[in-house]
Amino acid sequence: MDTSNPAAFVNGGLLRMHLGRKVRAVIQVIRSDVGSVIGKSTDDSQIIVKGSPPIPPTNYVEVIGVAETDNSIRAEIWTNFGDTFDMSSYDQLCQLANGEFKHLFL
Amino acid sequence: MSSNNPFDATSAFSGGGFMPSQRQPSRFADSTPSPSKGRDSQGLIPVTVKQISEASQSGDEKSNFTINGVDVTNVTVVGMLFDKKVRSFNDIRFHLDDGTGRIECIRWVTENSETRQMDEIDDGTYVRLNGHLQSFQGKRQLVAFSVRPVTNFDEVTFHYIDCIYLHLYNAKLLTQCQGGALTQPQLIESLSNTPVHTTSNGYQTPSFNNFTVDVSPDGLKGFDKLVLNYLQQPSNIEREMGVHLKEISQQLKSPIEKIKDAIEFLEKEGLVYSSIDDYHYKAVEGC
Repeated sequence: MDTSNPAAFVNGGLLRMHLGRKVRAVIQVIRSDVGSVIGKSTDDSQIIVKGSPPIPPTNYVEVIGVAETDNSIRAEIWTNFGDTFDMSSYDQLCQLANGEFKHLFL
Repeated sequence: MSSNNPFDATSAFSGGGFMPSQRQPSRFADSTPSPSKGRDSQGLIPVTVKQISEASQSGDEKSNFTINGVDVTNVTVVGMLFDKKVRSFNDIRFHLDDGTGRIECIRWVTENSETRQMDEIDDGTYVRLNGHLQSFQGKRQLVAFSVRPVTNFDEVTFHYIDCIYLHLYNAKLLTQCQGGALTQPQLIESLSNTPVHTTSNGYQTPSFNNFTVDVSPDGLKGFDKLVLNYLQQPSNIEREMGVHLKEISQQLKSPIEKIKDAIEFLEKEGLVYSSIDDYHYKAVEGC
């Protein structure tokens, strides 16, 4: 068992709370290039994700990586989450997992 | 986009984890209730790896794990599979990382279908794992009895919400039992009336009603529950003479006939009894 390196659920607004640490986010892909993806976070802000995105990415992609700035993530793991995904529920989960129920996650 | 695919709270909360209520069908019928009862039985509990790491174990390796005052034997987790190793034809080891932590897992496969199921899962795959939590040589591990790939990724969101929900539910249960309040059935009821839903990825979630047969075939209905809740208010429990039907009728703003029907049903279920005469009723005490 190892809980020393958790990945915090983040949306655009929560990213700055975890700078330099591991985070996970679901983004809606706006533009995908070879080394990065520009996407929309679950709270509707624009995020740049660097790394090697899946080819081709689906509409929704989950990234796990390090929060670099308050609008960018360097991703290590990319997972296609498909072409439909409930962004608002995920966004609420981000808030709960960083707030009242943080102790279940981090 | 999200409006095309709303997260259905009803279906969300009807699946995934088994609530303690399912495991205690005879709660109402039990004539010697105790606060600890209903929290010491087994079920399939949605948890995060972090919660598993913090679960307490009362004694040696064979003793039970406790999370939130609830004994935990079997758990359901969602996460990414890593470091898969096939040790022999029927012994498959891997790590599951759910973002809160990483835990060792073992899958003993006995049937061809299970072998096929494990064959199609590689490192980096999101899976839903149901398994038995155990401690072996000081390490916590999961002995999986089902590992299946996640195909609808709303299940990932759902799982964590399910964890939060059960955590909240058990925390409430614990407080209420410790406080000696008798409001538990309200909680239990709101759960046991949850309808069966087929989720979008096509697997059917279990019905709570299967587990409440010895209470009644379809559980308590909304109005019966209201009447019972009223009688279970601590101030009403304390009243030696019980509560008059008229009073219930006024309080619940419902015709007396409707109250009588509900009372008749609750009496049959052994949840209430008439006290000084046929017009006064009391709730059976118990937590």
